[in-house]
Amino acid sequence: MVYQLPPWAALAPTLLFVAVALVLFVIDSINPDTENRLLLAATATAGSLAAAGVSVWYLLAGTGEAPIRLFQNTLVVDTMSLFFAFVFASVTALVVVASYDYMRDHSYQAEYYALVALAASGMTLMPAANSLAVVFISLELSSLPSYALVAILKRNRGSVEAGLKYFLIGALSSSILAYGISLVYAVSGSLLLPQVAEAASVEGLTGVLGIGVLMVLGGFAFKTASVPFHFWAPEAYEGAPAPVSAFLSSASKAAGFAVAFRVFTVAFPVETYVQTAAASIDWVLAVQILAVVTMTLGNFAAATQDTVKRMLAYSSVGHAGYALIGLAALTGGNDQFVLGASMAHLLVYGFMNTGAFLFIALAEYWSVGRTFEDYNGLATRAPFACAAMTVFMFSLAGLPPFGGFASKYLLFAGAVGAGFWWLAAVGAINSALSLYYYSRVVKAMWIEEPSSEFAIESKPVGLYAAIAAAAVATVLLLPGFAPVWEYAQSAAAALVA
Amino acid sequence: MAALSFELAPVIAALPFVSFLIALLAGAFAPRLLPKGGAIPGIAATAGSLLLSAWAALAVWNSSEGVYHESITWVAGVGDAAFDLHFGILLDPLSTMMLVIVSLVAVLVHVFSLGYMNDEGETGLPRYYAGLGLFTASMLSFVFASNLLMAFMFFELVGLCSWLLIGFHFREPGPPSAAKKAFLVTRFGDYFFLVGVVGVFATFGTTAFAGSESFPHLAEQVLAGEASATTFLGLDPQAWFAVLGLLVLGGVVGKSAQYPLHTWLPDAMEGPTPVSALIHAATMVAAGVYLVARMYGFYALLPQVLAFIAFVGGFTALFAASMGVVKKELKQVLAYSTISQYGYMMLGLGAGGYVAATFHLMTHAFFKALLFLGAGSVIIAMHHNENMWDMGGLKEKMPVTYYAFLSGSLALAGIVPFSGFWSKDEVLYEALVHGLDSPLLLGAYAMGLLAVFFTGFYTFRMVALTFHGDPRTDTARDPHGVGWNVKLPLVVLGTLAAVAGLVNMVPVAELTGAHLEFLHDWLDAGPEALTAHHYGDLLPYSSGTIGTELTTVLLSAGVSLGLALAGAGLAWKLYAVADPDEHTDKLGSAKTVLFNNYYQDEYQVWIATGLTLPLARAADKFDQGVIDGVVNGVSSVSLLSGSRVKRIQSGVVTNYAFLLTASLVVLLVAIGLIGGWF
Repeated sequence: MVYQLPPWAALAPTLLFVAVALVLFVIDSINPDTENRLLLAATATAGSLAAAGVSVWYLLAGTGEAPIRLFQNTLVVDTMSLFFAFVFASVTALVVVASYDYMRDHSYQAEYYALVALAASGMTLMPAANSLAVVFISLELSSLPSYALVAILKRNRGSVEAGLKYFLIGALSSSILAYGISLVYAVSGSLLLPQVAEAASVEGLTGVLGIGVLMVLGGFAFKTASVPFHFWAPEAYEGAPAPVSAFLSSASKAAGFAVAFRVFTVAFPVETYVQTAAASIDWVLAVQILAVVTMTLGNFAAATQDTVKRMLAYSSVGHAGYALIGLAALTGGNDQFVLGASMAHLLVYGFMNTGAFLFIALAEYWSVGRTFEDYNGLATRAPFACAAMTVFMFSLAGLPPFGGFASKYLLFAGAVGAGFWWLAAVGAINSALSLYYYSRVVKAMWIEEPSSEFAIESKPVGLYAAIAAAAVATVLLLPGFAPVWEYAQSAAAALVA
Repeated sequence: MAALSFELAPVIAALPFVSFLIALLAGAFAPRLLPKGGAIPGIAATAGSLLLSAWAALAVWNSSEGVYHESITWVAGVGDAAFDLHFGILLDPLSTMMLVIVSLVAVLVHVFSLGYMNDEGETGLPRYYAGLGLFTASMLSFVFASNLLMAFMFFELVGLCSWLLIGFHFREPGPPSAAKKAFLVTRFGDYFFLVGVVGVFATFGTTAFAGSESFPHLAEQVLAGEASATTFLGLDPQAWFAVLGLLVLGGVVGKSAQYPLHTWLPDAMEGPTPVSALIHAATMVAAGVYLVARMYGFYALLPQVLAFIAFVGGFTALFAASMGVVKKELKQVLAYSTISQYGYMMLGLGAGGYVAATFHLMTHAFFKALLFLGAGSVIIAMHHNENMWDMGGLKEKMPVTYYAFLSGSLALAGIVPFSGFWSKDEVLYEALVHGLDSPLLLGAYAMGLLAVFFTGFYTFRMVALTFHGDPRTDTARDPHGVGWNVKLPLVVLGTLAAVAGLVNMVPVAELTGAHLEFLHDWLDAGPEALTAHHYGDLLPYSSGTIGTELTTVLLSAGVSLGLALAGAGLAWKLYAVADPDEHTDKLGSAKTVLFNNYYQDEYQVWIATGLTLPLARAADKFDQGVIDGVVNGVSSVSLLSGSRVKRIQSGVVTNYAFLLTASLVVLLVAIGLIGGWF
């Protein structure tokens, strides 16, 4: 007889991250002044890879096909939560590997890796949350370590300032979210998402429920760095250590989307909330507004930046706008395609955006400088890394033959298929604009003459390995897009079908 | 046995392609290893193609269906209304006959090139033989193409190769410009062809030539009311199919150098003479006419298009023949005769003479290749002087060339019993019997008939000036000798030019009642839908006769032979004397017009510079001003608003908190108002 794992084992990705964090604590408490960076990084890497491996294993084994409900249905493990767990775990692995070199001279090594692992455990919990209480807690579990991570360079004014701003905006947003949840609870009388869905039929309290829904949306908009809750993002991404920026802009953002996808499709389904006349809470329209504003503002602001890291920060705001299409193009029927496209985009984005920020980490490691001009002629000294960065830039812009092309194409195709051609049109125009600033980086690296000598002393193994892995994934995701698409579709089917 | 020969069909085209690759790669990396600059691989490859083509033709003859049709899908359509794109091979009597002709001429041209290029010490031989190989491979693939799209692709490759070869001497001023002209003019026609291919796809969902799912068959069913097809522009099927036929015909007119797109062909004489032989006899120019024959089942349904083809053909035949009368250069005369002869083929096709036109295509391939190679031999002898007025009296110095050339000339002029007589007579006969009920066709016939006289005249003017009389220059007195590699192709082709007409002697058959129409039988041997017999049923023409059928045949043959003899005789009387004068001077201003080709080039250049260029300038102005202006405007607006957006990010966290809260409130109020919460 085949041995059947106990149901709680379905949470293995989360549990692995928690375990990693605890092991790191143990190591740190035994030897607080450890100089053994390799041990710490290896522990974190092993844990992340194990989490990613378990997610893939579960996906392949079909664990989530029949949703596993735990703790009185407050947590649910299905294809969608496993799909996102894989995204977070792989991004975490890349970030941790890159941090080995990046954090070489910094103190609080063990704390750093432990915080990353804790944030990751919160993120992997977010897509599985099936109760508004768990939603809030898991969101905070991923946010609180993030504040500390942004500010981890304690002697760097930028880092500390960014951390503080991030925390303040985060606190405000969390309060909005908590208030929203309380209003929703007031009407529905339940925190479980499937039961919240029934609140739409409550007469006379539409306004209260509507305000609650939109405030919940605001809370998620903070996590996904969508306009107007994005203000923290450019500052935090710029001030934070580059691997942390990568972590926040890829994994944390995806986690925000994951939880938003589940809450809005399960708790506030389009059929009852938007289309039924008795309680017209048109959150789809609100998301459409957010999507358009986010895409446009993110891309326009990115086009005028002088520093590469800040450009990437705004571009990641813009990408939040694209991913929002997954929610903004929901119609109540045939939503699987566009929702799945959005999830697939988040997966591809996880690799290409992480890779791009890790390249920034590499540039910071070499003290190359921050502006576009500082990158002039970098390809003459570091052709491999620059080639990888070119892959990331073109993939972010959505050009073939990279993964970003397929996911963005299908996302826009999904929007058109759902009847929201104008969303796709705005997205396409913004993509065209984004090509401008992405290619600025490529031009600087490959075409411009170096303005000064680069003091490149070494080629850090960890950073290079992480960048190479991200680049390979970005390239292979186009030919290998079929399985990603298949799993993204079944993940979306877990929510809307 | 039959199956194997069919299985080997792709090799027919692959062999010359391999010789192209050998010449290209070995020429680039190991020129020393390349025997004779690539000629030997080329000869071996084309000889192999010839053998395989002949084998395939035999197999077609022996097989019960008379056809081999295989295709592979290279692009599979997705969705409901999609169609697949195929590469395929269609071997039937028509295509195998053409394969044999093309590969035979290609072998002979390769052999001849040994004498014309290698022995003359030309440089860049690997490039030359690479071009010949690719040219042959493209043409062979075009010939056995099973569908219109594949045909189009190789049609284009043929065009590309002609550009490469006409411009072979690219360091001189003439050839590159001629190559460019050939490329652009044929491209102009091909543009219509491409639109036609897309139109055929959109209409029928297939471009296959043969089979129950082929577009000629579907068109036939649609017109018979048994099926339906998508038509466009609000036209009924008959009119829409005519539009499609005319679009495809655009490519034919360009490639087969029919009026008004014939202007590239005389200039193409800038290419090496063996290339001219290949282009004019078997490949590029033949491609156009062959295409019409290939999809004749489609054209046979369209009376208006047929009449158009016939009229253009008849007009071109006369028009080009008249210009050939005054030319000074040997190859120029041949160039205009090519245009004129392809006009006859188009006349034959348009008049419903499928067999006649195919017959003329075959005999013309032999005698025109012969004449060009003969001209090449003369040019070698004359140290690359092509002016006939500098020649004369070469008959004694180069007898092999003379007799071969004479055989070709007699065929070209249409003198019995040389091949050209039989085929041209059949073309004219078809035009006559079908034209008795159709004034338009009768007009085309009249022009074709008149052109016979001119053909006889310019042909024998050419022969007399070149070979007879006294030598007019020192070079002509002491010509350069030519080797076996020049003489062998001439002998082979000279024989063929003399006897190839015997395969379809219609007048003799009518007269004696003997069964002599072998070509007709051959073209009837294929599958039902591709036979001459089936095309005959489809054709909209009714035949008339003058008196009995026999008298019509004899009258037609007699009149055309009489005119040919009259033209030839007049030329002979005027020019076959010891010291001929430029009698064409007596034409006065008419000669100037003829010599300048009716100012065709001038008016086409005027269209380009006087009409297209201003239009292009206006479009450019629009593009620069309006389109670019909008784009530039958008980008500057983006950057400006981008910098505004940047200013929102003030860095002060209280501002952020305010903006965040305010935006949320605005959003709440807006959605609430829309949703009617309050």
